[in-house]
Amino acid sequence: MDIIVCIKRVPEVAEVELRIDQSGKGIKKEGLVFSLNDWDNYALEEAVRIKEKYGGKVTAITVASEESEDVLRRALALGADEAIRATDPAIEGSDGYAIAKILAAVIKDIPFDLILTGVQANDNGYAQVGGTLAELLGIPHATLITAMEVVEKRAKVNRELEGGLEEVLDVGLPALFTIQSGINEPRYVSIMGIRKVAQKEIKVHDLGTLGLSPENAGEKGSMIVVDRIFPPPVGEGAEIFTGSPDDVAAKVTDIFAKGGVL
Amino acid sequence: MDFVEKYELCACLQCGKCTGGCPISMKAPLNIRSLMREVLLEGKSDRALERPGLWDCTTCATCNLRCPRGLKPAEFIVGLRAELVEAGRVPKTIIDALEGTYKHGNPWGRARQKRSEWKGDLAVKILPEEGEAEWLYFIGCAPSYDPRLQGIPRTLCRIFEAAGLDFGILGTKESCCGNEIRRIGEEGLFEELRGENTKNFRSSGAKAIVATSPHCFNAFKNEYNLDGFQVVHYTQLLTELMKEGKIKFSHEVRKKVAYHDPCFLGKQNGVFDPPREVLKAIPGIELLEFERSRERSLCCEGGGGRMWVEGTGEGKRNSEIRVRDARDMGAEIVATACPFCLLTLEDGTKTTGLEEKIHIKDIVEIVGEAIGFDHE
Repeated sequence: MDIIVCIKRVPEVAEVELRIDQSGKGIKKEGLVFSLNDWDNYALEEAVRIKEKYGGKVTAITVASEESEDVLRRALALGADEAIRATDPAIEGSDGYAIAKILAAVIKDIPFDLILTGVQANDNGYAQVGGTLAELLGIPHATLITAMEVVEKRAKVNRELEGGLEEVLDVGLPALFTIQSGINEPRYVSIMGIRKVAQKEIKVHDLGTLGLSPENAGEKGSMIVVDRIFPPPVGEGAEIFTGSPDDVAAKVTDIFAKGGVL
Repeated sequence: MDFVEKYELCACLQCGKCTGGCPISMKAPLNIRSLMREVLLEGKSDRALERPGLWDCTTCATCNLRCPRGLKPAEFIVGLRAELVEAGRVPKTIIDALEGTYKHGNPWGRARQKRSEWKGDLAVKILPEEGEAEWLYFIGCAPSYDPRLQGIPRTLCRIFEAAGLDFGILGTKESCCGNEIRRIGEEGLFEELRGENTKNFRSSGAKAIVATSPHCFNAFKNEYNLDGFQVVHYTQLLTELMKEGKIKFSHEVRKKVAYHDPCFLGKQNGVFDPPREVLKAIPGIELLEFERSRERSLCCEGGGGRMWVEGTGEGKRNSEIRVRDARDMGAEIVATACPFCLLTLEDGTKTTGLEEKIHIKDIVEIVGEAIGFDHE
């Protein structure tokens, strides 16, 4: 079972006050901590588990500049056998469609039975790459996968629906699935484990070697172009209490008491 | 080196003093004597590695102290955990603590930019950017971020200032000391933290390091290579400052105070007297001793990674036993000198309903009161 996992390096944004950069279309990256997109971690774990069960090869791919090699190293330490990075100065500003085109160009020369991606990315959350990539490769896909079982050349997958329902699909391989968080418990990747793969080769492609031109990537190659990003304006009806935990608790219980809750 | 050889398992007499003194074995499925035998006979089998009690150990090191052959059973546990860490088989909450430390420099995964928020508007020199100092004060992760503890470094800085100590801090450059990280079995991450902190210590220009937490103190003193630095716990420094007449107490603290020995200060580093000397010097305090004190102090269960993983045992928490003992001996305050002990014991007062009767305080807080600082 040969599996490809598409991964992305994203900033950790919890607790951080994000600031808009000069272009007005992105965030300032200084001082931010970057790591593997959470959903992709589940996808990688799922791929490695299937490989451990059936044998085969796991290949991790990212479309990004050199600083993203740390997430590929992490993927290798977790159990991926090969890592590929596609990069080019022209990829800046690519939307999900452009990224999917680049991934499809990388994947066309690799034999595979299964492609896994995260459902979406922690940063801009479009959830576009998985579905678009499947269309470009002409294979079936299913999203929001919370359980999967591979038997011979078919996969039985559970999709998470609204209202607490689950849908079970039977899909012929090769296919692409976008993996929901919680499908498994990803293993811990130790620092020693990452050090052990420090010398392992990461294949690097640029648009030229992939048979693409700069017009296929970046804003020119995208269907969606970001106009601007901004923090939502402060609305009304919310009050933020400050002070010691005791003071804050007293204010909150006061409101509960006045509202007749207590 | 072979695992059996590394932990000298062949030398074990199977006398059981380790298990007999273990503060966990009475309530959780951890039998260290039997585990050592099992690994001696069968090697690091999956059966041994899957024993649920492995994550119950607090690495308090009572077993190390009691072993008549001088073996280190607690280190053996750390060795088994290291096997699990390298295999990725680690409880989820421990993974979060390890990844939080790797990414943000603290096991709670809080933002590095907020590491100095404990200071409030207190003016403290950041070394080396804002000048030089003789002493480097290492705050530690829990006092940096936990709202219950943040007042402790604030008060300690005011005490240092009042005593005329020449000191500074690392500010947001400070990273987890790695003491618990090593005990969780993540040796690689510990090495990274040690490297980063050591580099910052050397470039700070300070000659001596004082730590809030016995856990940081233990790591710096015994597991870093800090040649040329004096490393002390704050209770040791306060004792020195008192002897030099630099700390004066102007307020009485008329309370019965029982002192709880933190394992990493007492058992593991022999610092039993300085905390007691500080308390005895405060006017009004009647110092009480637990029946189990000094080397026999009952572990609070906060060490060795247990701040991030619940024990499997169903018996009473040790902190509850400790708090009830304190009540029975008529104590009004349990004083300690460790952020983890403070949090676990305070939880014990809540779960036993003794919140109003027994107050858990860090020695710093009591010293602050006796000097006459506003209550923080």
